[in-house]
Amino acid sequence: MKMASSFWKGIVGVGLFALAHAAFSAAQHRSYMRLTEKENEMLPIDIVLQTLLSFVMTCYGIVHIAGEFREMDASSELKNRTFDTLRNHPSFYLFNHRGRVLFRTPEQEASSARNQQALPNPLRLRKLENFQ
Amino acid sequence: MDPFLSFTEMRDKLRKWREDNCRNSEQIVDVGEELISDHGSKLGDDVWIIYEQVMIAALDCSRDDLAMTCLQELRKQFPDSHRVKRLSGMRLEALERYDEATKYYEAILQDDPTNTAARKRKISILKAQGKPAEAIRELNEYLEQFVGDQEAWHELSELYINEHDYGKAAFCLEELMMTNPHNHLYCEQYAEVKYTQGGLDNLELSRKYFAQALRLNNRNMRALFGLYMLAGRGTKENKCSVKAVEEMLESMQITMS
Repeated sequence: MKMASSFWKGIVGVGLFALAHAAFSAAQHRSYMRLTEKENEMLPIDIVLQTLLSFVMTCYGIVHIAGEFREMDASSELKNRTFDTLRNHPSFYLFNHRGRVLFRTPEQEASSARNQQALPNPLRLRKLENFQ
Repeated sequence: MDPFLSFTEMRDKLRKWREDNCRNSEQIVDVGEELISDHGSKLGDDVWIIYEQVMIAALDCSRDDLAMTCLQELRKQFPDSHRVKRLSGMRLEALERYDEATKYYEAILQDDPTNTAARKRKISILKAQGKPAEAIRELNEYLEQFVGDQEAWHELSELYINEHDYGKAAFCLEELMMTNPHNHLYCEQYAEVKYTQGGLDNLELSRKYFAQALRLNNRNMRALFGLYMLAGRGTKENKCSVKAVEEMLESMQITMS
């Protein structure tokens, strides 16, 4: 049912109001019975009908507001889950992977190359030291 | 990626990726950057969690400029938040300034000793620096205090598998299976670890758990393959022939479709 959720919210509101109204009428009827000392009479049928109908309407409206139903079987929800996503632990993410280099833009490449040339090549110097 | 996604579609995609723990950082950066720059005002309060998501994805893609922008926005909005401090620490980790990052996390922990996120980041720093034994020790201590943390148990099992300590990895997976009995993936990973360990008892156990994984989800291909590999092995008394496995699979209605 792709009706606007405000429609269903309206239904729930009307249902709750009708329920409250029926409860108020029943209380009033009870006090009237007490005053006229006819305490054994049943509630008038229209109040009973109003209570039941407003209850059903509220329930129906809430079901439409509450969102998608899920399967009862817990394992069927996981049928499409794969290790691709299960293995990711966001609190433990590491950033020392090759993505740091792979996705570098050309400007970043140029600036890092410049930095490299400023430093002497440490390996070559160490090799020369060994020979001297 | 369709360049003309609508605002709601982009926001829903990001939410789905956030809930499923997908690490498709390039896509997150593309979609998230556009969402923040073009539709920032329409997002309302969602914008902060999207900033966090995009920042972490930007660190993955080496987009330090975008990460800094997101971090600054978050700092402006939440100046004294531990969560934002943790994100600053993560940025330092991405730049390989591990000592500064460790200082950040220790400051958070002094302020709030129960903060789990900072402790987990310290363990990740140990992992990044190539100190698996210390990472394992710290993670064990963490799990003694916070026994219910499933992410941490799974992380510990992965660390043990990398160290080839399959017995302890199996223990971690048992903990996970106890708390998630309906999850076929944990059953299947446990069966794989037992299979790797080898030895008759472990192979027997492995076959049982592959079957359990298949019972929970009859489309789990790896469990099917594991069961197939184990068919025909076992002791002389209860040799499970290929025929018996086929009959069992038929009874579970796993056909060739």
